[in-house]
This record gives sequence, structure tokens and C-alpha cells, in this order.
Amino acid sequence: MTSLSRLLLATTAVLLGAGAARAADGAEVLDSACGACHAREEGGYDRIDAVRKTPEAWDMTVQRMGRNHGVSLEPEERAAVVRYLADTRGLSVAETEDWRYILEREPVAQDLGPNARMSETCGRCHSYARVALQRRTPEDWRHLVNFHLGQFPTLEYQALARDRDWWGIAQNEIMPFLAETYPLGEAPPAADLDLSGEWPVAGRQPGRGDYAGLLTLTATESGHDAALRLDFADGSSESFTGSGALYGAGEWRASLASPEREIRQVFALKEDGVLEGRWFELGRDVVGGRLTAARAGEGAAPRILGVSPGRLRAGETAEVLVTGVGLTGELQLPEGLTAEILSASDREVKLKLSAPEALGAVSLALGEAAAPEPFVVFGALDRISISPETAISRVGDGGGPIPRTPAQFEAFGWLNGPDGAPSTEDDVFVGRFPAQWRTENFDAAAEAMRDADYAGSIDQNGLFTPGVAGPNPERPMMANNIGNLKVVAEVEDAGRSLQAEAHLYATVQRFVDALIR
Amino acid sequence: MKIRPLSALLGVALALPALSRGEARDYIIAPSRPDKLVVVDTEAMAVDKVIRIKDAGPTPMVPVLSPDAKTVYAIVNRSESVVKIDLESGETLARVDFSTPERRVKALFGMDISPDGSTLAIFQTPVKLGTTHYEVEPTSIAFYDAETLELKREAPSPRQITLMMYSADGAKLYAIGRNLHIFDAQTGEMIEERPIQGWENDKRTPPDVLAVWSQYESSGVMSIPFYSFLLDKEPTDPEAGRTGLFTLDRETGESVMRDVEAMDVFYFSTAVNPAKTRAYGAYNVLQSFDLTTGKPIKRVALPRSYYSVNVSSDGKIVWLSGALSDVAAYDAETLERLGHVDLPEGASISLNSVRLFSRPD
Repeated sequence: MTSLSRLLLATTAVLLGAGAARAADGAEVLDSACGACHAREEGGYDRIDAVRKTPEAWDMTVQRMGRNHGVSLEPEERAAVVRYLADTRGLSVAETEDWRYILEREPVAQDLGPNARMSETCGRCHSYARVALQRRTPEDWRHLVNFHLGQFPTLEYQALARDRDWWGIAQNEIMPFLAETYPLGEAPPAADLDLSGEWPVAGRQPGRGDYAGLLTLTATESGHDAALRLDFADGSSESFTGSGALYGAGEWRASLASPEREIRQVFALKEDGVLEGRWFELGRDVVGGRLTAARAGEGAAPRILGVSPGRLRAGETAEVLVTGVGLTGELQLPEGLTAEILSASDREVKLKLSAPEALGAVSLALGEAAAPEPFVVFGALDRISISPETAISRVGDGGGPIPRTPAQFEAFGWLNGPDGAPSTEDDVFVGRFPAQWRTENFDAAAEAMRDADYAGSIDQNGLFTPGVAGPNPERPMMANNIGNLKVVAEVEDAGRSLQAEAHLYATVQRFVDALIR
Repeated sequence: MKIRPLSALLGVALALPALSRGEARDYIIAPSRPDKLVVVDTEAMAVDKVIRIKDAGPTPMVPVLSPDAKTVYAIVNRSESVVKIDLESGETLARVDFSTPERRVKALFGMDISPDGSTLAIFQTPVKLGTTHYEVEPTSIAFYDAETLELKREAPSPRQITLMMYSADGAKLYAIGRNLHIFDAQTGEMIEERPIQGWENDKRTPPDVLAVWSQYESSGVMSIPFYSFLLDKEPTDPEAGRTGLFTLDRETGESVMRDVEAMDVFYFSTAVNPAKTRAYGAYNVLQSFDLTTGKPIKRVALPRSYYSVNVSSDGKIVWLSGALSDVAAYDAETLERLGHVDLPEGASISLNSVRLFSRPD
């Protein structure tokens, strides 16, 4: 194991509620360790009570106090105080809604600030989401901006800073904007729920495909034991065990392992009781999947979590798996779609579907439970696209401590929709399709450097694996194995070959990484 | 140390005049990680001396030579200290730590010594360190006694200053920030400002300047590349992005902003020859410019990135360094590579200023 992945493991272990990370202990650590400098006054602890943020953000703060200010905590003390801070000074799930991709390490996301000024000032070094996932008093936002320039004095010399009165802008525009947009407000109460039970799940791992499965949670003294079984549509299965905890108003964090890999779960417990989020491999977080889970059992509101596959070609029949809870209602199909029920339970219904003609996007339901996405009956695709349209991979390994960061692509199939025109709002998303994948040099400069030969290779599941890090003596100027690449997907559909392109920046390592990037 | 003449190493590539006793010889002083100042004898093409500085890490950054070239000053210790070093013995004669437990003070890029050798001017950026929060404080220029390193006075200055240079007569102190700020060297009062970012704003975007390499010794001319876009051209037009050269003559005080070519490559830094007729820019290419016409002359590819440029006292050799760990010689006319000197331990010069100085042989 590399030193970096050990570090990530240690960091991740904090957000588990592992060991004796109980709230009472957290309060004690806060009082003894943090309170040594942060005076407790009428309004609470100096600074600490002027902020609300995510469990990851609290952990970054506690880490920094250790690294920069010599606060020495045992791992269980650190875990306890992070959990206590997240429970007492956290965000509601609603407050995190638009920005969860940064917590989930979701690779298909676009980080946009509210305007160019905020993007250039904050989003230049870290995600804007990192900003929007904080609430502070006006004074504390002022402290935070002062901290930035005080801690990183070259900040005002960097591109998009040296060309302007950076400190003037920071004081006169940025601080008031932050104070007004993200005021402290009230911390939501900690959920403190027993999540024990069986949670059917549905989701998809890009590059591998749809899965259904079961998350089993068992409450323990400090959190929950967790077991996860994923049954992939390709017939493979994987079982993980581990533990997790619910932080604050609804932030589920867990670490699990199968014999092959270690994963981390970052889910939100929604108001309707559904767990939703993403899991990813430790040290290779591009690889993972989105997941929705609902607790089964008596009284569970009927809910369809997933329908796989979510499409049917007209004139063909397909076996379709419907996953959910309380699936006891009557199957409701649109006209033109017929079904044979192969098997049925309250958690899983297997259907054999057929349709003589293309219907486009239609709704499926079992009683009151509607499928979360439209089901598509189609004849032939009109076009394909690649997701993501722009991606970044990073060189790694090669004797260095930082592993490679791959990039995962998928080919999406589309219908033009009622207006018959491609790439308009009424286009119908048909789903993901297997494709032939290749990379090409993006432009003449990439051609001259033979980027496609050096930067890495893409497999037929759309996974691009970048080259090793370090100067390459074979390349001009000993360049690293970086490259500017075009990713090309070809899908054979109904006797036609459809093609799409995406842009891949195969670039250098992320030398500074954080729980919230 | 056995000194081998450069001509023996480089064959006939260089036609250097034979040095006679007492004649000045060029040396280069390169700071390298984590604590070294490496002196290179450019005639012998060899490392002359390695000076190690206590508590200097992660790297000494800006070296400044006294006018008699017997003393070198350097910003060290995470940019929070300045040291005075005897160049012959390598001994640290004095040191000032700017920071206190309550106040952290960084000196990032700007330091120069007055021509009479009496005063060291250092740009400083401070932050007050409270128990639970920081407060950014105004920037200033601190004037130290070059002999004792005692603080003589401080003067408020604009933020974002990088390079500083005394006028030849010592009366003025030039500071590069978002504009050229000119201070009275005695009182520290800012007496004049000339546009850099404000230059030709009706025609182009504000020039982007990253000037962190002090390297004006042999010419007395500070030269800085800058980049902007013409407003009347489409951004996709290859002629829209422009490379410019700023020059400032410490003798005459004349400063010029000039557009020299379409921006097809970047130069990290530039330097001017002693005749003040040529400028040389480097990063991934080495380029010569004619300063009389303001046009590019010649460009060659480099085997790797170099950040800093110096021109020899006779104007015949361009010395490239920075980024990695060598100092490389190029013919100033043909831009042909003549040779290089590796620094000890492969230690990186990074983006430190590399200075050229002369002293009697």
C-alpha cells in the first residue's frame, strides 16, 4: 500500500464513528483540546460556534489544528470530536443538495460558482462547492478570508489574482457576498436514528453496469455495522462488510471492504427515508457507483428504486428487473407494452416485456410506486453522446506515492424526441450502450507530441488508464506522459454505426488533495 | 579545485578574450534546495563554491550581491528571514528573522541593495497571528542597514509587489507591482507611478505580469515579459494574444512597455545584454529580441524548461537556469548550446532568482 493510500485510509477511518466515538466523549474533547484556545464565551466557543459545515469539513479543520497548531489527538478522540461537531454544528441535507458531488467525489459533475467573480476568487484553487457547504457569521467569513491570504501569501500573486486588486476585492466584495449568501443560521438537530434493517438497493457502476442488491445495517453502540451485496446485471456479484455512522441531520458515512477492494459510502438520508448517494473505491474514487436504498419491512412506503434495463427495443422482448420496497401494487403499463410477470416479491419483480412498436418514453408503476425514470421503447437510436463530455485523468505510480487517476466514460443513446431535431430539450435519453472505445490526438500540437501514444489507453468498458508519472526520456523535453486526447465511442445500433467524441485532459498528479477538493 | 578553461571544455565554440590577472570574471550564484547557494565559475565551467545556510529551508530564494561582490544576502527560511554571508568564507555574518510568534512576515520576491552598499530594501507582507484568527496587515518596504541588518525604517507600499531595483544613483527605488511604483529611496515615500496593468487599456486587456526573477546585473536593465489580448481582434485570432516586454533602465530611469510578438509561447523571464540592444527570454524555448526595433530575432528549442536568464558581462553568453539543477550556456548570437554545469546533489533551483556577478580574477 502506498503512503498516500494509507493516509487516505486513516482520514477515512475518522468518519466511521469507529470505536468509542460517542457524543459525550466528543463534547469532552471539544472542551479540553479545542477549548484550550477557543475561549468559551456567552455565544459558545470562539469561532467554533460561528460555523456550521459537513463532517468532512470538520475533519479537515481538526486535521489542520493538528498539522499547523500542534493539537495532538488520539485517533478515537479525533473521530469523537468530528462526530460531535458534525452532530451539533452541521448542515441539513437540503442545504447540501446542490453541492453533494464534492462530498461524493462524483466525477461527472461541473463545479460552477454563482458568478465569474466568485469562481475566479474561490473556485480557482478549490471547488466552489467547498465554499457553499459552509455557513458562518459575517465576522467568521471575514476571519476565513484573512486566514486565506495570511496562510497562503502568494495567493495574491497567482493568475486571476495578480491582475487585480485581490485584497480589495476580497474585503469589499467577497466577504459581504459570503456573509449574505451563507449566513450562520441554525444547526439542524442530529437525526440520531437506528437504521437497523434490510435496505434493498439499486444503482449503476459506470463501466460495469446496473446492479441491484441489499444493504444490511445493524445498530451498534457507536454506529452501525454494514453489509452490502451487489448483484450486477452482467451476472457478477460482490459482497462487502464494514461499518458506518449517521452524522448530524442525515449524513451517512461508511467504509466497507470486499475481498477485492475497499470502498467508502457517502449517502444522504433524505426526508422520505431514502438513502441516496455514491460509493467509491478508496484511493481510486473515480471508480464507484450511485446508489439508492430504502428500508424494507412492514409499513415501508411502496417505492421503485430501479428498473434494469430501462429500455426495450420495439419488436423484441426483454427481461426487466424492478427493484424496490413494498412492491405489492398492480403492474401498470402504457398501451402498446405487454408484460409477463416472471417472479414477484415485495422487493423484486421480474418482468418479460415486449412491444411491437416504438413508444418513446413511457411510465411504469406498481400500484402507487412509479419508476423513478421513464422507460423507453425505441426502434433505433438517433444519436449517441459520451458522458462526461470533458474529463481529467492524472498520471501516477511510476515509483511515486500518488496512484494514477483513471477516467471513466460511458456512451449514452438518444432519440431526437417529438421535434425530430437532435440535442434539443425534448430529446429522450435511452440509456447506456456498449461501445468500441479509442483515443486520438486532440489537435495538431497533440499530434506532434504523439500524446495518444504516451498518455494512456482506454479499455472496451470505457475506462481510460493514464500513463506512469515522471519525466519520460522518450518524449521531447522529457515530457511527462500527459496528453490532450479525443475519446471516441462507436455504437452499432440497428445496422448503423453511431459515433461520439469527448475531450480528455490526461494531466499531472493532484499533489495536494483534501477530503473536500 | 582544478580550473579547466571554458575553451577547453567547449572547443572553439567560444572565442573568449584571454583573462589577464586582475581582470573581472563572471560568476553565477544559484540558490538551490534546501539550503544552498552555489557559486559557479563561468570561465572554468565548474562549481566554485557551495555555501550552506543554517535553517534556510525549503530553499533560499533571492540572493543579492553587495556592490563589491564580497557579501551576499539571501531571503531564506520560508521567506521569513534574511541572512548576510561572507562570500569567501561562506560564513553567515548576520541574520534577521522577520516573524514573531504574534506576527508572521514574509519577504517573497523583492530585495535590492543600494548602490553604495549601505542599505537593503526588502518588500514585506505581514499577517497578525491571533490565538484563533489571523488578520492580514498592510504591506511595506523595510530598509535595513546592510552592515548590521538593523531595521532603519519602514514605508507603506502597495500590495502585490514582486521585484525591486535601486536607481543607479541610489535616489530612487523601483518596485514592480500591478504598476511600476517609484519610491524616494531616502524617505520611502512613493513619488511616482507608471502604468503596467493600466497600459493601453483602450486597446488591450490589462497585461498579465509574473515577475519574480531578479536578474538585471550585467545590463542594469530590468526586463519583464507580459501578456495581453488586443480588444479589436477575435480571441481565436492567433494575432490577438500578444507578448510584450517591459524594460526599466536603472541608469536613466526610462521605462518602456512594448509589444514584441504574437503570444505563441510563454517566457517565464527575460534579461537584457550589457549593450542594451538585445533581450533574451526563456521557458521552453530560448528567444532573442532586438530592443532597437522591438522585434524577435531568433528562437531555439530547449531540452527542458529553464526559468531564469542572465547575460554575461561581455554580452556573448546567455546563461539559463532555474527549474531543475543546472546552469546552461548559450551563444548570445546563434543561441547554440555551449555547455552546462550541474549543481551538486541534483538540488532544484526551482523558481529562485539566479544572479550573475563579476569580480577580479
